[in-house]
This record gives sequence, C-alpha cells and structure tokens, in this order.
Amino acid sequence: MEPGTAARDLAERLVRALGADAVKTEPEDLAVYAYDAYTEGRSPSAAVIPSDVREVSATVRIAKACGAPIVARGAGTGLCGGAVPTQGGVVISFARMNRILELDIANRRARVQPGLINLDLSRAAEPLGCFYAPDPSSQKISTIGGNVGTNAGGPHCLSYGTTTNHVLGLEFVDKDGEVVRTSIDDAGYDLTGTLVGSEGTLGVITAIDVRLLKLPAEVRVCVAAFGDVEAASAAVSAIIGAGIVPTALEIIDALIVAAVEAHYHAGFPTDAGAVLLVEIAGAADDMDANESALSRIAREHGALSWRTAREAREREALWASRKGAAGAIGRLAPNYYIQDACVPRSKLPNALHAVEAIARDHDLAVGNVFHAGDGNLHPLLLFDRRDRRQAEAVVAAGIDILTACIELGGTISGEHGIGFEKRETLPYVFSAADLATMARVRDVFNPAQHFNPDKIFPSGASCGEVRPPRGGSGIAAGDAWL
Amino acid sequence: MPQRVAAPGDVDALAAELRESDGRGEAVVLFGGGTLQRLGAAPSRFDVAVDLRRVAGIVTYEHHDLTISVRAGTTLGALARALARHGQFVPLDAPFPARGTVGGALAGGWLGPRRGAYGRPRDLVIGSTAVLADGTVAKAGGMVVKNVSGYDMSKLYAGSLGTLAALAVVNFKTLPIPQAQRAAIAALPDGTRERAIAHVRGLEMEPTVALAVRGFHEVGGTDGSDGRLLLVYEGSAATVDRATRELRSALGAAGVPATTIVDRGAGDALQRAIDACVTPLAERSATYRWLGLPSDAEARCAGVGRVARRHDLTCETMCDVRNGDIIARASAPDRDAFAARIVLLDEAFHDAYGRIVLLSSPDAVRDRLDAWGPPPASLATMRALKERFDPRGTLAPGRFVGGI
Repeated sequence: MEPGTAARDLAERLVRALGADAVKTEPEDLAVYAYDAYTEGRSPSAAVIPSDVREVSATVRIAKACGAPIVARGAGTGLCGGAVPTQGGVVISFARMNRILELDIANRRARVQPGLINLDLSRAAEPLGCFYAPDPSSQKISTIGGNVGTNAGGPHCLSYGTTTNHVLGLEFVDKDGEVVRTSIDDAGYDLTGTLVGSEGTLGVITAIDVRLLKLPAEVRVCVAAFGDVEAASAAVSAIIGAGIVPTALEIIDALIVAAVEAHYHAGFPTDAGAVLLVEIAGAADDMDANESALSRIAREHGALSWRTAREAREREALWASRKGAAGAIGRLAPNYYIQDACVPRSKLPNALHAVEAIARDHDLAVGNVFHAGDGNLHPLLLFDRRDRRQAEAVVAAGIDILTACIELGGTISGEHGIGFEKRETLPYVFSAADLATMARVRDVFNPAQHFNPDKIFPSGASCGEVRPPRGGSGIAAGDAWL
Repeated sequence: MPQRVAAPGDVDALAAELRESDGRGEAVVLFGGGTLQRLGAAPSRFDVAVDLRRVAGIVTYEHHDLTISVRAGTTLGALARALARHGQFVPLDAPFPARGTVGGALAGGWLGPRRGAYGRPRDLVIGSTAVLADGTVAKAGGMVVKNVSGYDMSKLYAGSLGTLAALAVVNFKTLPIPQAQRAAIAALPDGTRERAIAHVRGLEMEPTVALAVRGFHEVGGTDGSDGRLLLVYEGSAATVDRATRELRSALGAAGVPATTIVDRGAGDALQRAIDACVTPLAERSATYRWLGLPSDAEARCAGVGRVARRHDLTCETMCDVRNGDIIARASAPDRDAFAARIVLLDEAFHDAYGRIVLLSSPDAVRDRLDAWGPPPASLATMRALKERFDPRGTLAPGRFVGGI
C-alpha cells in the first residue's frame, strides 16, 4: 500500500470504530499532537480522543493491524519528547477520559481516568480531608496518566515519595488490545510498579487507582535568604544530614527570583543570591520545634533571613510563584533549555558548582530553581535560538551537566524521564547488560515496539524520522514546568 | 531435598553458580535466613539450594544522604544496627530480623504493619543489582531518591519470590528514627470491639500501627472476650504523648476500661506481632494473609473466623485496621485433626475470598493446600515475564502464582 493510502485506511477504520468526532486527521488538527515541551516533533497520521476503555482497545487493535505506532499523550508537559510520535502513527489523547471515577475517602483511595488533571484530584479530595501527594509544578495542566508515565515528582515528593509510591493499581490496554487490570495487592509480579515510569512503552493506561493522604493538621512555609545558591544547597544537605525531612525543600536562585517576583509579587527576597523554600507539615505540637531546628541549621549555614508564612493565602502565593517559575523566565531571554538531573543530596553544592562552571565555559547564563531536598537539579540555560553559537553551546552544556551529575553518583532524570531526548545518554548510566535486562520487559509487553517507539532505549541507529521544524536540537521551546 | 547446597561468597560467584546451574538444567531455590521459605507452593523441581547469606554486608552507607546500599544476604538485624548508629532506619518490618535477610524480605513481598505510615518495602528501594537465571548481572535505579532512568526493575524483583532473579544488592532510602515510640495494649470486653476500632479510626493522631488481635498470645497482652488492641505510636515525644492520652480517653468512651502503655519495649511488641505472622504451632497450624480494604477489614476478619470454626479449627486473627490486612492462623489440638480439616478449610477460604494467600503451613500438608488461590487476571503477562527472564525454569519452578 502507498503511504498515503495506508494513512487513509488507518483513519477510515478509526472513524468507523470511534466516530468522526473522536478522530483527527487534518494536518492543522494534528500539529497539536506533534510536540510536548521538547522542541522536536512530528505530526501523527491520526489522533484519537477516546471516551472509554473500549475505544482505547479498539484504537490499539486497529493501529496494530495497520502497523501504526501508538503514542499515549497527557498534557504534553514532559521535557524529553516522551509524547512525540517520532514515527507518526496514532496519538491517543485522554482529553475525554478526564474524570474521577471513584473517591473512596474511608479507604483513602481514588480511581481516576488518565486524562484527569492532577490538581483536580486534590481539589476534589481536600474538602473531605484528603489530598493526592504527587504535585509536579505542572499540576494545573498535567494529567495523572502522564504523571504515571514519567513517575512524576514535584516539590512534595521529598517526604511523600514520587508517583509510583501512590499508585495502587492500573487498568491498561495491552499489545493485543486486551484490557488488563493490576493491583499492588494482587499475588504475583508487581506489574503496577513496572508500568509506572515506563513512559508509555509497555501499554496504554486507561484507569489508575491512587492513594490519598490525610491532610496535615498544620502547614508552614518558610523562606530563607542566602548569599548564593551553593550556601543554600549546603544548608539543604545539612538539614537532610541532620535527619530532618521537611515536606518540601526548594531552592530558587537570584536570577529566577527576580523574574518570578516581577511576575507574581509573592514576597521572595530579591536582594539575596538564593532563596530556600521550606515546608513543614504535621501535628501542631511539632511545628515550633521543627521550625526552630530548621532555622538554626539555615543560620549556621549562612541564612541572612528567615520568614514564616502561616496563613494559607501567603503559603499559596509562595507555592504558586515557585511552581510557575519556569513560565516567568520568558522575561529573561528569548529561549531557555531546562535540564533534569539528580544527585545524592550531600553532593548538591558540588553539582551546583559544576553547573555554574559548565555555563561559564559555554558562555551561557544559567538560572536554578529545583527540588533541592531530593537532589533533583533543574538548571535553566538562557539563550537566543537565533544565535547559532548559543544554540549549539546549550546542547553541549546540557550533556556536560548530565555527565557531571553522573560523576557525582547521580542520574540523568529525576522526574521527566528519558523520552526521546536522553535515550542516547542512558548508556552513560547503565551497562549494555542492564539495558538488555530492561529490554526483556519491553519484549514481553511491547515486542513489536508499537507502543511509543524511539523512547528510553538507545537507538544505535538513525533517528532521521524526527524533523526539527522549529530549529535547534534538544531545546525546550514553549512554556515549561519543572 | 536438593542434591547440592551452594553458598557463593560474592555477586560474581552467585552469577557463576546460577549460570552453571541454568546450563545444566538444574532447578535452583534461593535461600536467605529461611524465615519466609514456606511462602508459596513447594517448587516442582529442586536440585540446588543457593544460600545467599554470604553475599552480605554494607556496600556503602551515605548517612548524610539518607541512603544505603546493602548486599541482599545481610540480615535485617545487621542492617538495622548499622542504621541505628546514625539514628536512621528502613522499616521493612519482616519477621525474625536476627535471621531474616534483606533480600528475603523483599523477594518474599513482605508487608509490615507500619507501611501505611512509611510505605511498603518496595517503596523504600531506590536501586538494585540482580542476577538473572543465566548469570546476567543487571543494575537498575541508583543511589538517588528520585530517578526515572529506565524501567523500575527493582519493583519487578520485589515480591517475585526468587522466580525471576536473585537480588544481590539493594539500595534503600533511609528514614530518621522517630524521637519517640510507644505501644498501647487494651483488652476488649464483650461487645466493645467495633466501637473501639471506630474510635481509634476517628482520632486526629493516627497510630503508626493499629492491630485488632484475637489469640496470638506470643505477641503479649491478654485478650478480653472481644480480643485486644495493639497500637503503636511513633513521632515526636510531644505528639506521642498527646496521642496516647487521647487514645486512652477514646477507648474509655468506647467501654474499654484499661489501656496499658508500653514505653520501653514497644518495638519488641511490634516485632513479636510481625514474627507471629509466620510462626506455626507445632505442625498443627496454617497461617493465611488476606489483603483488602481497611473499611471492611473487621467484617472480613469476623468472616474468616466463622469459616474456620465451621471447619472445626481454632482461628487466631490479627486485623490490621490501618492497612486492611487479615492474618489468620487456623489450628487444631493435634496434628492428625489438623491434617484432616485444613484441606477443606483451604478450599473454603479460596472459594470465598479471592486474595487470600498462605504464609506458612507444615510440610505434611503443604502439597495439598493451594498457596495462592485463583490467579490474578494478569497471569498471562506474568507467565510471559517468567518465560523471558528464566526460559529454562531454573528459578524455583512452580513456587509462584499460577504454577510459575
């Protein structure tokens, strides 16, 4: 069959199964599904917007019969091209599977569809005394299905753990279009834990059982100012080293604070080299003692000031500006590139030092806003895409940063995954035997690589199918969250 | 009985042992401290016992990072002692820590009663090195607390009961030991159980552990006609103090006259409850675990007791009010009576309750009991994983779910 004919055949079969209303095939409609927060993209042959699991199953069967790859898509906030249909095929959007199916407060669990926006779950659970802990900064738009795909984190996974620690079971459509249900309470292999963080390469998840937590009795958010980001990160290492685990420990450097304050006016000190955002939560009895222990360590490590937000509105303003930080960067440079890497927490000062040196070597400005308590760095390299030297330097600096983090005992992704962008970097972390063992899992779930091809595993071969229509390579373009 | 016992001294020797056994078509059963060896069905073939206890010791302990890497044969007790020197712990909460190993607790899919507060053992694992049946040594994860680099293989190995790979090294995130720990034990007079549990559930300060116990006298405490409660609180001295005060008055209001507070020895009481989950009564008992929702745990627990009594077996239970687990130990006064009755009870349990599994049973009846009950709907995928990881069926064939 001619390529055009094959695409038409695929589209016709999808329309017959799902209805014209649920299938997009016009180029202008498909452009939306070509990209995530990574720059390179490619339009799929078709995008489907199923309303239920039967339609997902039908889509998988039809795509398989037509030899078309299948890429599940959440909100497209991932930084690494994990949602990019690099070989075309069918993109499945979960925009219509976005409901809470069950909210079981007595057992502190919920069953949700993958397209549910992360924040909507906590909004529904909070009046009932519970919340959903994973809170990636993108939570206002990113979906729980996407969060499951990348095992997303967020500021509060410091004490509550990442998405995988909150997923109790899944429903997914397998390679044959069969619907499979898993639970961490089932006897047998932990398929749930295997699927979380597998970046859509093992199946299409259609429902998720999640754990809810009881809202803490009291929450405080404290802001400490430091002379520079290395001093702030030394304080973080000391806090963790002292055996204190607050619910969040975030660092924002001066460059980002300036941009954020201009936009949000949350009251971060703009005269400091770096700001440490600390959240503590728990029983009211412990708040004063915990806060004084934290502020003492901060001062011992050079904190210039310490401010406490006790009121909900004040806390929310600080968090809104922290979570919106990347969006405010547009004020600083035409383009920016965000890296996501993780180091052991005691190595934070070394890592920050390395990032600064790398940026200097490549003559680039760098900002830092990151999940310090977890050792999860997010350096933002500022540049102008029109300047060819800068565009090339940014890509080289990104790889240097990953290499430096690996040398410090860290890894190349804390919460965005490997996706398309970092798959050639994965062998820096894992041996061929390690990767071949992971590939055994893929062989079982996805032997023909219909599900999200070109992701996670290094190619070894060409990846010429991906066109970089916006120019540049490996460079985040639009709004991003981190 | 195996023809041979091998005790490799390090990861390379373990890899060589598995590769050679696999090449010869021998079936291998992995051993740690033997505390969970009765989990699952008896293997259908068993040629070589591979004792992992010499693959032991701490690889690195980055106490400032709250991370540790240990070899899988390290005992739970040795791990706990090393961590305690820096005021830290990893709440695996598996039985008999002096003998039980890290790898055994993880591979056995052990679930302790503090997991509602601290997570399941699999949630504390940040990386691992495993040896596959063909001798492949494969790492996954690392020594950082957030990591989305490749598949989370450690989750697959945890709970696989040594049928996919041998865990050789496990990396954990550690936690600071809470400042205070206190147990509360209260005998429940007739008719108070339901209200007492409801009152405990309604408390603002949640207990770290909340067990409603009947029998299991080795745990300590005395049953009232409605059994007894064993609660453990952990946290700051101030919160634990307030929590136990509020508990006392809540239990008083529920008609429970006396609550005994255990300060020193609270950890021992908790450990005794964990040990009891796999402790048999001399060849005349079998112990089951049934995972389910907390909201109907009490009703399920009562149901298990009724079914056992209908089969003329005594049933001791521990109902985990917080997590929803039921541990049930069915016994008869003597071996013969037990052997005559347990097979029918086993069938009745599996017919009535899908997710009930056998934790421990005497050798004399093990082959006649169904360790796993009906397999989960995802069995075909699980079989395919086994086939891909262990195509020759070298690792404990037949021990796992659905004959895997």
